Amino acid sequence: MNIEQLPIINLILFLFMALLIPLLKRRPFKITLILGFIVMCLVLASSSHLLWHVNEVGSFSYTFGGHEARYGIEFLLTPFSALFTWVIIILAMIIYIYSSGDATEGIEQSEYGRYYVLLFILLLSMFGILYTNDLFNTYVFIEILSITTCAIISIKKKKDTYTSAFRYVMMNEIGSLSYLFGVALIYMATGYTNISMVSESIQVAFASYPFNIVIALAFMVIGLGIKAAIFPFHIWLPDAHSSAPSTSSAILSAIVIKVYLLVLVKILFSVFGIDILEQMNMPLILLILSGTAMILGSIFAIAQKDVKRMLGYSSVAQVGYILLGISLLSFLGLRAAFFHIISHGLMKTALFLSVGEIIFYKKTRKVNDFDGMGFIMPVAMGVFSIAALGMIGLPLTSGFISKLNLGIAVLENNYLVFLVILIISSLLNVIYYLPIIILAFLRNEKYHYRMTTIEKTPRTMITPLILLGILIVSLGLFPNVIMPYIEAAVETFIS
Amino acid sequence: MNDIIIKNITRIIIPFAQMYGIFIILNGHISPGGGFAGGAIIGTTLILYTLVFGREKGKKKFSHKMSEISESGGIMLFVIIGMIGMITAGAFLSNLSGGFPQGQLGEILSGGFIPILMIGIGIKVTSTMISLFNLLIDEEKL
Repeated sequence: MNIEQLPIINLILFLFMALLIPLLKRRPFKITLILGFIVMCLVLASSSHLLWHVNEVGSFSYTFGGHEARYGIEFLLTPFSALFTWVIIILAMIIYIYSSGDATEGIEQSEYGRYYVLLFILLLSMFGILYTNDLFNTYVFIEILSITTCAIISIKKKKDTYTSAFRYVMMNEIGSLSYLFGVALIYMATGYTNISMVSESIQVAFASYPFNIVIALAFMVIGLGIKAAIFPFHIWLPDAHSSAPSTSSAILSAIVIKVYLLVLVKILFSVFGIDILEQMNMPLILLILSGTAMILGSIFAIAQKDVKRMLGYSSVAQVGYILLGISLLSFLGLRAAFFHIISHGLMKTALFLSVGEIIFYKKTRKVNDFDGMGFIMPVAMGVFSIAALGMIGLPLTSGFISKLNLGIAVLENNYLVFLVILIISSLLNVIYYLPIIILAFLRNEKYHYRMTTIEKTPRTMITPLILLGILIVSLGLFPNVIMPYIEAAVETFIS
Repeated sequence: MNDIIIKNITRIIIPFAQMYGIFIILNGHISPGGGFAGGAIIGTTLILYTLVFGREKGKKKFSHKMSEISESGGIMLFVIIGMIGMITAGAFLSNLSGGFPQGQLGEILSGGFIPILMIGIGIKVTSTMISLFNLLIDEEKL
């Protein structure tokens, strides 16, 4: 068995773990947790090895059943897919360790197993989406992902979670189906669903069937836009993210919507190519969407009184940043977008997990109740502050580096308007993040009596938070550690 | 439902319907049908049994534990068969190149591992049908 088997072994490991959990139901739950952790460690090891391999030796493809790529399914391991699967498994591991404390708030004891089944199938589908080199296979994995996400949102058996899960599933089904329609139109015009073959023949197809390609692009961008919560299609996100358990909110906000953005990158750059996009004026449309998302997402976030809803709207604004980087269609822009995907993943995970810990112990989600919280839960609130300052974009955090890169990329194309929007959006971030930090750390006189009620949090919940804080700061101090990998990932799309 | 006609007719129909389901599963690779269609037929007979004889008796025929095992087992069979191809031929789900016998065209034992995969899918679909139905019944009581 050689290294080419590793991607499929990753998927099989996730699938086996998900299948084993219902069978282990009658054993103590610790066995399941330990097995799941072992599986994650194995996948992390193999993903790291794959990341090293594609960067040092070169990318490779893997076909199922020995069929040719154009008949069968092909997995393509590029620096892009290797890098982002590696990022996903690291974030997922941190969230997994956190959730193995008793932070799965609101979930019944008997549902724990079901939660982890969903988590592993979620990871399986995200790995599949990134590895696959086939448009239809991507659709299949997207469908698995959206059904599992719906289930993970509605796992708390409450009325409002059911409403938001229903809204989520309706919106996302429209998204999936419009993506599928786009795939069908491309298949009609080119005769392939394999991405590398489509990209070879799409120029010819565009000359003979321009309408098909235009409509396909529009459907795919809108479909993936709904799923990635790009601004006018974001209405499902704040509800879904605020009603889900904190760990699932972290997964949804930090990983799942990013995967859809990565699919969008794949579609735009690998399938259609920059020439066709520029002929259709696609960059301008995406730039306008991203600009409105950056401003309006932040303005909506200011108006929220519920912390988790606020973080949800903040995600809408951050998706705007990433989309801005993508829609510049340049090397620097894509580099900034990829870096922001990673750094926002870390920061949003830190925010949701620290808020989750506060919600778990203090049973409050109101922004106003955070007065003096820094003295009650110093670690949670400290990590929250680091991540919030990162969101604002202060130096020493990874958020600064991604905003710096975005600014450079915007200046390269001479879009001064977007530099202004970037700065305004950062200032709006200050308006809603800073008051929480100030309330938590500076207003303690009135709430001095609370000092006595410091809760003992389990180590499994504290360690991941500290780890996230360290990662955010160290990524801000030494961005060059990960930059070569990001640049290699960008080079798979733009040489 | 306490009607002697329905009970007796159900008793007569179910074995035939299940035989037909098994036939469709086993002939999936050489005729229309397959694991999904056949599994749905067998699952429907189990639903019919539960409808006519009640949830308690239905539980005795196809318990919750059994549905858990068969639901996981169906996929595991599929994946394990796929992994055999991975070990022998170097690609997941390798069929004939992975050493599975080709057999005579048109016979039931032909087409390499496809009949085995069909059985796996059939088991999975059957148990999914019945457990979804049971879930809906149990939900009503809450």
